Amino acid sequence: MITARTPAWARAAALKLTGFATSVIGCKCEAGIECELAARDTPDGRPGLSVLFLTMDKASLPEQLIVRLGQTVLTCPTTACFDGLPEVPDRLAVGKALRVFGDGFQASKLIGGTRYWRIPVMEGEFLIGETFGMQKGVGGGNFLILAADADAALAAAEAAVAAMTNRPGVILPFPGGVVRSGSKVGSRRYKSLVATTNDAFAPTLRAVTTSELPDGVNSVLEIVLDGTDAPSIEAAMRAGIRAACLPGVQAITAGNYGGKLGPHHFHLHKILA
Amino acid sequence: MSATITLSLATRPEHSLVADCIAPDRLAGLTGEEIAALPVLHGGRVATLGDFFQVRGERASDVRIEGDLTQVEALGARMAGGALTIEGSVGRDLGLGLAGGRIDVRGAAGDNAGGAGPGAARGMTGGEIVIRGNAGAETGTRMRRGLVVVTGVAGEGTGKGMIAGTLVLCGGAGPGTGRFLKRGSIVAFGDIERPATFRYACTYRPPHVALLLRYLRTRYGLDVPERHVTGRYERYSGDLAELGKGEILRWVGQ
Repeated sequence: MITARTPAWARAAALKLTGFATSVIGCKCEAGIECELAARDTPDGRPGLSVLFLTMDKASLPEQLIVRLGQTVLTCPTTACFDGLPEVPDRLAVGKALRVFGDGFQASKLIGGTRYWRIPVMEGEFLIGETFGMQKGVGGGNFLILAADADAALAAAEAAVAAMTNRPGVILPFPGGVVRSGSKVGSRRYKSLVATTNDAFAPTLRAVTTSELPDGVNSVLEIVLDGTDAPSIEAAMRAGIRAACLPGVQAITAGNYGGKLGPHHFHLHKILA
Repeated sequence: MSATITLSLATRPEHSLVADCIAPDRLAGLTGEEIAALPVLHGGRVATLGDFFQVRGERASDVRIEGDLTQVEALGARMAGGALTIEGSVGRDLGLGLAGGRIDVRGAAGDNAGGAGPGAARGMTGGEIVIRGNAGAETGTRMRRGLVVVTGVAGEGTGKGMIAGTLVLCGGAGPGTGRFLKRGSIVAFGDIERPATFRYACTYRPPHVALLLRYLRTRYGLDVPERHVTGRYERYSGDLAELGKGEILRWVGQ
C-alpha cells in the first residue's frame, strides 16, 4: 500500500514504482496498481493505492522491490508505504533494508505489533513497514481480442480494461492494460532470443506463416493479467471478456503456449459458463 | 477453563497491598483455587490473594479486576502477555517491568506506572498500558520498549530516563518530563514542562503519530480528536545531556 497526502501523489509514486514492469522476460518483474484505497481503508487514514509485484522466483523479489521503492516511493513527497499482506507468514525485509538511507538517524516504532521505520528526509519523515508479505501468485493470465480492424480491437480492449480495473488481487501490468505485441516462446530465426513476435496472430503475416487468425480478422490485442490467486484472475477475465464483446470483435481466444506456461490453465468457456 | 478471570475486591486493604502475582500470563495456567492461594503482601505481611479478592473463572489470559484498587500496588508487574482490564483507579507500580500484553485502566494510576523496580536498569520492555485518567509521578521511567498512554495529566518525571518506546500524554505532564531520555518518543497534546536540554528541530506532521493515534482509536476505543491525528507537532530532540536520540512531539494545532 502506498498512501499520500492526496490521491494524486499516491498515484504518482505508484506509477513510477510499477513503471517498466510489464513482463518478467524483459523487466525481471511484473507490477501494477491493484486498486485505489479510500482513506478509511489505509493504516494512516490517508488515500492510497495498492500495488502488486510479481517475479519468477522468491529470490528476485527483494532486489526488485527494494531498489524500486527506494528510488520511487521514498523520493515522492508525502508518501508512506505499508504492507498489504500482513497475515502472510513469508516476510520480505523491505523497510528494514531501506532504513539505512537514514544514515543512523532512522528510528523504529512498534505499533500494534507491527514495526515501522521512520526515515528522516528533507521533507520530513518517510514511514515504511519493516517487512512486507510475500506469497505465491499467478502470472500470465491472458486473452486475445481478434477484431475486424484496429479501431474495434482497441475499443474492445479499452472496455475490457475498464471492467477489470480496481479489482482486488489482480493487476494488468502492460501499458493501459493492453499488449499489442504478444510474443511466442523463442525464435524461428535468432536462437539467442527468448521471445519473439507471435506471428501466428500477426495479421500482416497471415500469408507467410502458419496463421491462427480466422478470416476477417485484421487486428489483435492481448490483455495480460497477474494476480494473487486463480479465482481472482478468473473473475477478472470473466468481466473483461464480457465487456470486450463489442461490434467488430470476431473472436476471443487465449495464448495457450502448449499448456507449458504454468500450472494454472484458464479455459475461457469454463470461465464464462 | 473460562474466557475471563474476574477478581473482585471483597475486602478493602487497610495498608498497601502488593499484588504483583496478578499477571494474566501467570494466571492463565491456574485454577480458581490456585489463584486465590497466590501470595500478596499486605502492609509488609504475607497474605493470600483470596483474603482480599473474590475469584471467578480460571485458566484464562484475559483478567478483569474490579473495586477500589488505590491501595493495590504492582498489578501486572513483569507480565509478558494477555490482557488486564482494571475497572477503577490503581495504586503505584502498575505494570512494573511489563514485558508484553495489554493493561487497560479505567481510572487513574499511581506513581511509577510502567516504570522500573528499585535499582533496575530498565522499566517496561514491551506491551501496552492505557490509563484512562491521571497518572502519578515517574510514569514510564526507564522504559525500554512499549507504549504508555495517559488520557489525563501525568505527574512529574514522566518518561524519566526512557531508553526507547512511546509515551502518549493527552493531558499535561509535570516538570522533568523526558529528562535523561535516550531514545523514544513522548507525544503530548497538552502543556508539558520540557527540560532545557531538549532542542527545537521543526514543526511537522509526524506520520507515525497519525498511525499510532488511529491504532489507539481502533484498539482501545479512545476518543482521539481528529485534530490530533492530522495535526502539526513541534519536534524537540533530546535529552541532549544524554544520547539525544529521543523526541518530544508537542501538538500545536492543525
